[in-house]
Amino acid sequence: MKTIVLLSDARNPVSGRQQLSRLEAQAIGLAAGLCEKPRGLHAGSGEDGVSAGLGHGLAGLDIIDLPATDDPLPALAGFIAKAMGGAGAPELILCGRRGEGGEETGLVPYRLAETLGLPILADAVAIRAGEIAGTLVVDQAMAKGARRRVTIKLPAIVTVHSLAPPPMPFAFGRMRRGEIRHHEPLERLGLPDTAARSDASAEERPHRARPKLMRQSGTASGGPNLHVGPEPDEAARLILDYLEANGIRRYGSS
Amino acid sequence: MTAAAFLPWLVVAMIAVAVVQIARRLFLWRRGKPATVDWLAGLKALPSRYLVDVHHVVDRDRSASKMHVPTAGGLVLASSLLVLGLVPAIAGSRAYWALVALAFLVMSAGVGLEARRRYPRALPRLSLGQWQRFPVLLGLFAGGGLLTSLLAALGNPLPALSFLTLIATATGGLALASTAATGPMRHALAGAAHLVAHPRPDRFGGGRSTGLRPLDLSVETPWSEKRREEPFEEEGPQKLGVETPSDFAWTRLLAFDACVQCGRCEAACPAFAAGQPLSPKHLIADLAAATAGGHVRPYAGQPYPNARETIGAAGLHAPIIAPDGMVHPDTLWSCTTCRACVEECPMMIEHVDAIVDLRRFQTLELGAVPLKAEEPLANFRGCDEPNGRALKERTDFAAGLALPRIADKGEADVLLWLGQAAYDLRGQRTLKALIQTLKSAGVDFAVLGDEERDCGDLARRLGDEATFQRLARANIAALSRYGFKRILTADPHALHVIRNEYPAFGGHYEVIHHTAFLAELVAAKRLAPAPLTGRAVTYHDPCYLGRYQGEVEAPRDLLDALGLERREMARSGKRSMCCGGGGGAPATDIPGDTRIPDIRMGQAMDTGARTVAVACPQCTAMLEGVTGERPEVKDVAELLWEALQAGERTNGPAVRELEPA
Repeated sequence: MKTIVLLSDARNPVSGRQQLSRLEAQAIGLAAGLCEKPRGLHAGSGEDGVSAGLGHGLAGLDIIDLPATDDPLPALAGFIAKAMGGAGAPELILCGRRGEGGEETGLVPYRLAETLGLPILADAVAIRAGEIAGTLVVDQAMAKGARRRVTIKLPAIVTVHSLAPPPMPFAFGRMRRGEIRHHEPLERLGLPDTAARSDASAEERPHRARPKLMRQSGTASGGPNLHVGPEPDEAARLILDYLEANGIRRYGSS
Repeated sequence: MTAAAFLPWLVVAMIAVAVVQIARRLFLWRRGKPATVDWLAGLKALPSRYLVDVHHVVDRDRSASKMHVPTAGGLVLASSLLVLGLVPAIAGSRAYWALVALAFLVMSAGVGLEARRRYPRALPRLSLGQWQRFPVLLGLFAGGGLLTSLLAALGNPLPALSFLTLIATATGGLALASTAATGPMRHALAGAAHLVAHPRPDRFGGGRSTGLRPLDLSVETPWSEKRREEPFEEEGPQKLGVETPSDFAWTRLLAFDACVQCGRCEAACPAFAAGQPLSPKHLIADLAAATAGGHVRPYAGQPYPNARETIGAAGLHAPIIAPDGMVHPDTLWSCTTCRACVEECPMMIEHVDAIVDLRRFQTLELGAVPLKAEEPLANFRGCDEPNGRALKERTDFAAGLALPRIADKGEADVLLWLGQAAYDLRGQRTLKALIQTLKSAGVDFAVLGDEERDCGDLARRLGDEATFQRLARANIAALSRYGFKRILTADPHALHVIRNEYPAFGGHYEVIHHTAFLAELVAAKRLAPAPLTGRAVTYHDPCYLGRYQGEVEAPRDLLDALGLERREMARSGKRSMCCGGGGGAPATDIPGDTRIPDIRMGQAMDTGARTVAVACPQCTAMLEGVTGERPEVKDVAELLWEALQAGERTNGPAVRELEPA
């Protein structure tokens, strides 16, 4: 399964130097389990940080040369869309779950999914090919150590959680032998209303005080509280009861 | 025809057999990588290297030199005399046979001494197996030759007996010759050739050569040319470090064959003593066996302590460190690079070079460093410090000491290299004592501040040559911006790296260790320490100062100048034992039966001294990590500062205001 790992412009928190994000190194490790020759994709300036991905197991690295201040999204979307149109189209695109470079938003995977019309699944800790061709089985990390197994149809974008297996160790020789291809940002693909969004998407609202979630409102507060396949009305009543019982909602039932 | 008349022909036959055997070995050596060898200089220096340098080491074990001189001398003398016996006129003379008998007598005496080392029970460090049978073969040859030639000298009174003794001589002699490629006799030619083509010729004649050789990383990267479809060739000229025996230079393969398995390295090895799975002797024997190939491991010495399971497949082109290979990775990562094995080796084998070469492949090509060592290496790549701290925090500990920065001054007499100790609470105490001492002596010094990166010692010993070279170049670039006369450091590891390993990258500096510098100041009366009498100290030599630099006098002079009662441990000076802190051993942390610093602290306690004087932040950390009742651990700089303060209390200010030179 052809896999691309998106590499961001992460910074070392101590020195501020470009470095490979650990999450993305873990993503490379996951990719190597699926794909013989996973490739990395980076849009930005400089290869100092991301080239370490080769040392962690990438077979090759594509860099779209962009000024550091440019939005990488259109170039990335254009590059991937073009690749998906051609032969050997990538089926899986892996990303880290958050940005690690100063003012990065961490939204690139989501906006990329939106632009390309691909499904996105967050916080993978393990992935393997599904039994039916063209599907992927992903173990998602949930709160409190819970795991959820999800099967999705490819192609898809999957972000990787920090609880995924540790990355393959860095080997300088692998990095030195790895191949880096530089690309011009030929085709830029954006959402139809990207320009409008970037200005108007942020809405300002006055702060509204919300009731605090009580500490005892965790799953441990009551007894077994698992209901499989309840009727919608019943489910709504159960949820309201639960909120009342835990002091999250205080209106009195009925 | 007398039996003795066959003896010259026996020697000819032995030489012929040995030549064939050695030629087979020669082909193996030639399969190693090429190496530049100054043959002429090597051959010229051979007698002095053998008679002075080798003998000096062999003679540390008197029983060995007393055994080897007559055995080898007698063998060579008897064989050369017997070759002369091919001339019929000489062979007819009874005096000649008396002379031959004398040579064999000398050899027999030597063999007798050797047998005493091995029978009834061999010294534990010696190998058994074919090495245990070796004196038997030598004895057959020497004893048989003695009797045969003696009978000939007496006019051949017992022809039947002399033929029997001839058969014994021939059995021993031909058996010796046939093992010239694989058995103990291999050491004779391989050892001599190794002395001629030694990869570190500078270490002979009182010189020192301890710096590691840089790896050439400047090869064009594949992508810098035109794109290639198949750029990955795991095998190829670009391989970094040593994976298979054929990746060693041929001079190194030769060196492995020179090993006599005397086990002195093993007896000196701190990792072996602590029950970690390393024995330098075993490793060298394994490397020699791996060169020849095959599964058989003809090794009869003590096994690696707590030996990890290996399959033992080997060959000239088979990986040495591999799941089915000869040597377990834990063996490789147990080494503290203390060079005790190299110091003790009578055959001048460079164990540490071999270990670092093997580590380089593991780290650079496979990334297969032990789990705990990945973090410091990652920190090196991220922020130039193994502990992951910011460079600008290096001088934080000296807040209030007004530490001058060279960037503000532009130049200074002495550049103080703080090193990694500046991030460590214990190391900071030493550095503070040193800085205060420098101030009270009025030394014009400054620090690099946040331009000082880690010297790269740890990265290099862990095999990460790429990181080391990057740090070395960055440090040299920073140092070249400022004017100073010499670099002062309290860290022997930084001292070694900057003094001996930076020159390969264009950084030539005069580097001085703080013990030598402070001894200079005291000798020049720029410091007036009060005597700290009534205290017994024992000085622990850091490997990277004693063995690597040969500096063992200055710290002792300084301690003597403080009026301390100095007691020596059984292992001190250049033959001191490691604290366990070098070579990345604390990072790789291979489990053993005990800890190296515990052993060393035990030796310090045996002297009865209440204080262990140290001169290295690594040693301080390792020895202070020893639990339970133990002597206090003080850096020499701390003891001096204590003495200076004591002097100040009794005589008023001992600080002599001197103008900066």
